[in-house]
Amino acid sequence: MAHDELFSRMAQAVIDGEKERAVELAQEALRLEIPPLEAINKGYIVGIQKVGELFEKGDFFLPELVMGAEAMQAALAVLEPELQKRQEVRERLGTAVAGTVEGDIHEIGKRLVCTMLVANGFDVLDLGPDVAAETFIEKVRELKPDLLLLSALMTTTMPEQKEVIEALKEAGLRRKVKVMVGGAAVTPSWAQEIGADGYAENAIGAVEVAKGLVEAF
Amino acid sequence: MEILERLVQAVQDGEAEEAVALAQEAMAAKMEPLAVVDALTEGIREVGDRFERMEIFLPEMMLAAQAMQKTLELLSPYLEGQKERREEKGTVVIGTVEGDIHEIGKNIVALLLEVNGFTVYDLGPDVNALDFIKRAQEVKADIIGASALMTTTMPGQGEIIELLRDMGLRDHFHVTVGGTPVTQEWAEEIGADSWAENATKAVAILERAMKERRGHARATL
Amino acid sequence: MPAPPYKMWEILERARTGPFCEDEPFIMERFMPQLKAVIRKYGIEYDPATPVPSDDHLADALWRAGLEFFLEVGVLCVDTHRIITFEEGEVKEALYLVPGEYLVGSGKDARLLKHRPVEDTNPPFVIFSPDITCDEELFSPLSIAYLKEPLADGVCAPILEESMGLKIKAQTPTELAGSIEHAMSLRQAAKLVGRPGIFLVAAGTAESDIAQISISHSDWGVRTSDSRLVGALTELKIDNALLNKVAHYQQFGCFAGSLTGPIYGGYAGRAEGTAILQVAYHLMGLLVHQAHYQMNFPFHIHYTSNSSRELLWVISASHQAIARNSKLISFSNGFLNAGPATEMVLYEAAAHALASTVSGANLWEAAVAHNKYKNRATPLEARMAAEVGHACAHMNLTREGANELVQKIVAKYEERVADAPLGSLFSECYDVAKAVPRKEYLDLYARVKDDLIEMGLEFPY
Repeated sequence: MAHDELFSRMAQAVIDGEKERAVELAQEALRLEIPPLEAINKGYIVGIQKVGELFEKGDFFLPELVMGAEAMQAALAVLEPELQKRQEVRERLGTAVAGTVEGDIHEIGKRLVCTMLVANGFDVLDLGPDVAAETFIEKVRELKPDLLLLSALMTTTMPEQKEVIEALKEAGLRRKVKVMVGGAAVTPSWAQEIGADGYAENAIGAVEVAKGLVEAF
Repeated sequence: MEILERLVQAVQDGEAEEAVALAQEAMAAKMEPLAVVDALTEGIREVGDRFERMEIFLPEMMLAAQAMQKTLELLSPYLEGQKERREEKGTVVIGTVEGDIHEIGKNIVALLLEVNGFTVYDLGPDVNALDFIKRAQEVKADIIGASALMTTTMPGQGEIIELLRDMGLRDHFHVTVGGTPVTQEWAEEIGADSWAENATKAVAILERAMKERRGHARATL
Repeated sequence: MPAPPYKMWEILERARTGPFCEDEPFIMERFMPQLKAVIRKYGIEYDPATPVPSDDHLADALWRAGLEFFLEVGVLCVDTHRIITFEEGEVKEALYLVPGEYLVGSGKDARLLKHRPVEDTNPPFVIFSPDITCDEELFSPLSIAYLKEPLADGVCAPILEESMGLKIKAQTPTELAGSIEHAMSLRQAAKLVGRPGIFLVAAGTAESDIAQISISHSDWGVRTSDSRLVGALTELKIDNALLNKVAHYQQFGCFAGSLTGPIYGGYAGRAEGTAILQVAYHLMGLLVHQAHYQMNFPFHIHYTSNSSRELLWVISASHQAIARNSKLISFSNGFLNAGPATEMVLYEAAAHALASTVSGANLWEAAVAHNKYKNRATPLEARMAAEVGHACAHMNLTREGANELVQKIVAKYEERVADAPLGSLFSECYDVAKAVPRKEYLDLYARVKDDLIEMGLEFPY
């Protein structure tokens, strides 16, 4: 099989959310001694970008997005050892830590944003819902991400976004990370009021804002 | 008085600064670092005993433990080369179960385990059953220690064991339970591996458990 | 027939003893594949040409698909990581025991809340609700404005963000304060308006279980003739705090409502999956929430609304499934794109009311302006939905008839869903002190109503 055809099948496996097929193709690439970085960039990344585009257009929704991301991650896990052997690194746009703030159990909006960021080349650690300020601080200190994403879906949990930002200041970490806030009730004026660096209306907007913040960093 | 005796005394008295200074002196005098640690461990055990006999109370014990930790920090670079010779007692993931915000008892146990040579991951209070297990897997722990201070939160200890069973991991960890209302009967009822009445006993019980565990591991190899 | 609770303690106990499962596999390995399987097995298909379908086979297939899906997947408790599962016989028993009607509210303001069949000629029960947050000083005027609405059978008040000037934070003393302020002010407003016994629902300021429990009081707070809601987590999940509400509402003795909003474009995928999930949520509402009635707002993941064509289909098809196969009492909650004092929002309200009422739902109206902006809702949007709902019953409208009307109405706004006008604030649309609408909005309202009459809608007055 010509390499180009293999790459397009890799992309298609991600678009179709076919985890097993994505993994098989990664193994095939290793057998053919295709440089893993090339397989990632010309195959899987192309696929996940297409998934992101289709989501933006409204043709794809959350299930396709998470299945696509899963397929890609499974394939990357296969290629990772070879990548390390060659001492190559995958190009990343940036790194992010994300979570829904303490007291808030809503998840889906944040999950969407995380998946879109991954699709666009970010490395994202999703801490889940109901995350305590200390946990955010701990992870920022430990992982030194470019971005910290704080989601809050209710007006009564939004104050916690502010508290996380205050806690970052107290921990001397505020200048080391860009903070993005989002969630159903969050508005640009709230983001400004609490001193966040970015706000996005939805998952698609979030990617643009995240890219802008990382570039400015 | 010998440097070593004064050092042990300083740690027992909770005089962190003095203890650190004496430890430095001991190292300058080329004393065997491992022997120093052994003496300190013996000393802190005595503190634990006094606490149990109510000759001293929590503040004294906390200060002594802090002095011990500071001293161990200072000694650790000297121990680097001799790591293998120092006994690795085991890794413990410890916390208070979900819904329970009591900490002191668990902190004492964690502290005593640590100064007695265990590697301890303290997850704090109000820990979900699954989080105990996840963390234990992550750090390849030998022991899960679950504390509960109220009769209404005790079922959380049982939940950890039930989850371990359902996840097929029951044999991977030694589960020990403790806390004011927790009894031997309760520990047996929920299928815990051990129960300790207090912090000092917990150390002894877990040391024994680790020996058995290691013996068992060797036997299966 | 006895009301819920149905085997409440046995079912709650399953949250502790059910099969172990983590969040991620619950969604990826259970929820998503099972949903896909039942969509295929029962041949469920969305048809954009009929936002209000009149196919009984579709409705019944949806019901069976929803029931099978619910039995296969169960409900995950995210605190215990255990799945609450059910036997088919239990679900059937619980459905058989549903009484189908309750007398809600008290005294002269009491009303009969009933199950509605498809194409019911009885008008819907209408709950008027702004569904948004408001400034503390606007809480009473807004509540009074909604309570004054003639067609309101029940009222849900706006949500406070501050109490005594302090920002409300969930699960802290400020939330308890805000919740008590909410309950007391609403009670007082109802008395001032002259409807002291009207059915009051939700107390939305009290998000947490402790806050809800703190306002149960037969004098100044939530009474046993009132109601509160239990929500769900996305999707088919619950936690201990929500289960606390379940137990408390039954033991206190008020009416419990199940609040669910399946997400179109979320884990359920498109219209077919969202409609099946609607049915499953009704069963979860009955068995896990132990609810006397259901209120649901399927909504679009991008727009937080349900007035677009595909969501109207979800609403209509799923309510028909439920109305034809059970005696469950269900409210359809309108989520509209445009804001107050716009033509668009009134047309959206009309379309939502038509699709819902003719399909066997009661009405809970309306969240407007993508349900996002403070102080941005008025009773007139809800009034439009209520009047259209009554017109529907008054003229014995069929599903075919409703479909034609909905097609015409949706055509007026569907291009503008993404950039709908946000409209005006309550204080711009209303004389706040008197809590009555200003002339400009009333004139706009009359123009839209005339246009609807032109299209063929017959209002009772």
